Amino acid sequence: MSLILVQILNGLQYGLLLFLAASGLTLVFGILGVINLAHGSFYMIGAYMALTLTSYTGDIFLALAAGIPLAFLIGMAIEWLFVRHLYKRDHLQQVLLTFALILVFNEAQQSIWGNYPKSIPMPSYLSSSISLTPELGYSVYRLALMAICVGLALLMMFVIQKTRVGRLIRAAESNPEMVEALGFDSRVLFRVVFAAGAALAAAAGMLAAPVESAYPGIGERVLIISFVVVVIGGIGSIRGAFLGSLLIGLADAFGKVFVPKFSSVLIYALMALVLVLRPNGLFGRS
Amino acid sequence: MLKAPSIRALVVLALLGALFLALPAYVGAYGLKFATRMIILAIFVVSLDFILGLAGLVSFGHAAFFGVGAYAVYFVSSESEAANVFVALGAGVAGAAVAALLIGAFVCLTRGFYFIMVTLAAAQMMFSLFHDTDIAKGSDGAYIMIKPDLTIGATTLIDFDNRTTFYYVCLALLVASVLALFWLARTPFGRIVQGLKANETRLSALGYNVYQFKLAAFVVAGAFAGLAGALFACIDGFVTPELFSWHQSGLAIMMAVLGGAGTLFGPILGVLAYVSLEETLKTASLVGSFVADHWRLGTGATLVVAVLLSPDGLAGFLRGKTVPKKVEPLKDVMPAAAPRKARALATRDLSKSFGGLRAVDGVTADFAPDLVHAIIGPNGAGKTTFTNLLSGAFRPTAGQILVDGENIAGWPAHKIARRGVGRSFQRTNIFATFTVEENARIAAQAETPSVFRLSEGTARENQIAKVAHALSVVGLADRAGAVAGAMSNGEQRQLEIAMLIAGGGGILILDEPLAGMGPEETRRVVELLRDLKSDHTIILIEHDMDAVFAVADTLTVLALGRLIAHGSPDEVRRDEKVISAYLGGHAPAQGKGAPA
Repeated sequence: MSLILVQILNGLQYGLLLFLAASGLTLVFGILGVINLAHGSFYMIGAYMALTLTSYTGDIFLALAAGIPLAFLIGMAIEWLFVRHLYKRDHLQQVLLTFALILVFNEAQQSIWGNYPKSIPMPSYLSSSISLTPELGYSVYRLALMAICVGLALLMMFVIQKTRVGRLIRAAESNPEMVEALGFDSRVLFRVVFAAGAALAAAAGMLAAPVESAYPGIGERVLIISFVVVVIGGIGSIRGAFLGSLLIGLADAFGKVFVPKFSSVLIYALMALVLVLRPNGLFGRS
Repeated sequence: MLKAPSIRALVVLALLGALFLALPAYVGAYGLKFATRMIILAIFVVSLDFILGLAGLVSFGHAAFFGVGAYAVYFVSSESEAANVFVALGAGVAGAAVAALLIGAFVCLTRGFYFIMVTLAAAQMMFSLFHDTDIAKGSDGAYIMIKPDLTIGATTLIDFDNRTTFYYVCLALLVASVLALFWLARTPFGRIVQGLKANETRLSALGYNVYQFKLAAFVVAGAFAGLAGALFACIDGFVTPELFSWHQSGLAIMMAVLGGAGTLFGPILGVLAYVSLEETLKTASLVGSFVADHWRLGTGATLVVAVLLSPDGLAGFLRGKTVPKKVEPLKDVMPAAAPRKARALATRDLSKSFGGLRAVDGVTADFAPDLVHAIIGPNGAGKTTFTNLLSGAFRPTAGQILVDGENIAGWPAHKIARRGVGRSFQRTNIFATFTVEENARIAAQAETPSVFRLSEGTARENQIAKVAHALSVVGLADRAGAVAGAMSNGEQRQLEIAMLIAGGGGILILDEPLAGMGPEETRRVVELLRDLKSDHTIILIEHDMDAVFAVADTLTVLALGRLIAHGSPDEVRRDEKVISAYLGGHAPAQGKGAPA
């Protein structure tokens, strides 16, 4: 019983992190029309920023406060340098350029931080565990992490649904030319959306760092699973990304317990099942 | 469509061939192994080009089949005895083909963005399968103890353990693979595979089941990737889950595009260019130790720049001069008379709702054979939705569509087309990269749309006749060699009609065929419609009322999705409801006493 409870919590925690990463991916495709393979690299950058910034500030949350704006700026720079040239190009070129970016990011990571996994300290005041049931404790940091993810997710939903910028984003998603014709500079809008996606992915990487440490290839693992999430949820759908993330998070957590060797395969099988039943994902537009 | 390589390209390829033939005499063991790897990689990337460059499907999981091919060799090899070369390579090809069939059955359901992601995920699943489980020693990888050979009696004819022999086998298989894929691309099957890239909607409206063709192309590409994988396993006699890695798939796309996707020989140049770039950047004596230490940064950056500058790849430099081909005007030959497939069309309570909007609302109408039936109505009346229902582009919400009495409501578009209903689109919908003749050819070929048609067979003569006839009838006989996308809008619409004629459908649905045409072209098309109705039933949607009254035998008037009148032009012209619908709700019944 307590095993199931722990796996539910682990699954939710993984799912929430995935949601932060996948929501950026789905937004960037839905609004900018760009398939960004380098999205996972922002998660990786987040994890390593957590390493460096925590060593300066001494606390993961201070690192987060500094790191999110930093990741936003990095996102803007990448959009300005590379991604904006892709808006009018076909999928193949988008895939190629962002794949080449991954090679560059990976090499940069190995040059700066090396090849060995690095662990990031948990803040001491959260490193204890609380008992959920008499015989079961659960890390306080992991609970805090989930709370922050939920907070960020709610913030994002609020911005998209209730604010002026959000309305523009939603308008641009359905008809970018019209938004332009109405006098808004969609270039700025696109840059902000891309940077926000990057910041969300980096935030996920930073939050996860004390739990899973930072290691080479961490971004690609997240990227591929985020793809699965987006396919399951339906491209461009935030709601779909949320549901897909939690589904994958839980499937992964329980797969690891019950079919340890096939837990990854299980996730892809889940995706195949969704595709057969709903080829455009759970919330995708046909 | 795939063209034969230019003279310049052939010269370069011949020189390369000679170089590679002579290579073993000049390089040592390391160099030979390096060249062998490169050749095997070239087979892999060429196989990817068949689906990426020709069919236009961006598969990001091609390494899955490379990996399966390699592991197949491991599975058929025993520890004490060498496997037969044919068994080993055959297992690689067959294993990969089966994997491609299974994976393709899922991924070919998707398109565009989903296709990229799902192929990536599928390859990653194969990676997990071989990495996480104990199959073939899991993540450690596994050794093939004795490499395959070919022994007849006591003599060993081919031994893969012999580096030079193995090198020449690989080289021969590369040449064979390129030739085989090139040949396949030029068959009727290959024409349709390339049609997938040029215009999928059109293919399906012509009666082709695009899913089957995608899947077939996917399996072909997968099988050749399996061959490459099987050979790769024989280099070191070692297989590892890394063979499935998505980096492998990504680099293959890189090399294909770098060399020139869609040419089948360009990828070979791409492999050479990429491998040379990588080797150069790794060599400290050439580029300095800093660059050599960070060579991945160099390759990545070079590729970023290459994509941004967006060349057509290296094959672009080897393109022949584009001399407009002089093509003799086609002579109109009457094709063998074939009975038209379908004639009478009718709808019963046909409806289509989008959310709360009833775009087509309970339309019941009969369209008798061999007449021109015009459908008219104000904007937003539901005319285009109605035609989309007839052709199967939309599924009706309710009601029936009867073709010669058979209810076809809910059939997929290609099946309806095959039943004999051809359609043109409001926006011209042709294969823009194909020539006029190839466009008509792909339509004529739809008569026998089985998947693997490798030769035209006995139908060839009649198909050519049909193409010539159809193009002559619409007045494009002297434009047969022109690239369709480069023609005027009016000519493209004429071509679209020619495709419908060549396709052999008995019911033709024309959605605004006169839009964007000048008076001369309009006159020609109107005359054409009069001729066609001797053996076609034509459904015409048109805004040009002069043309409509000149050619239509019946008029059907739609307004707000409902049928408000149906009859001869004279009857309809006098119909009160029609007059008021066209005047609009704002000017009700003038002169009859306005309502209070």
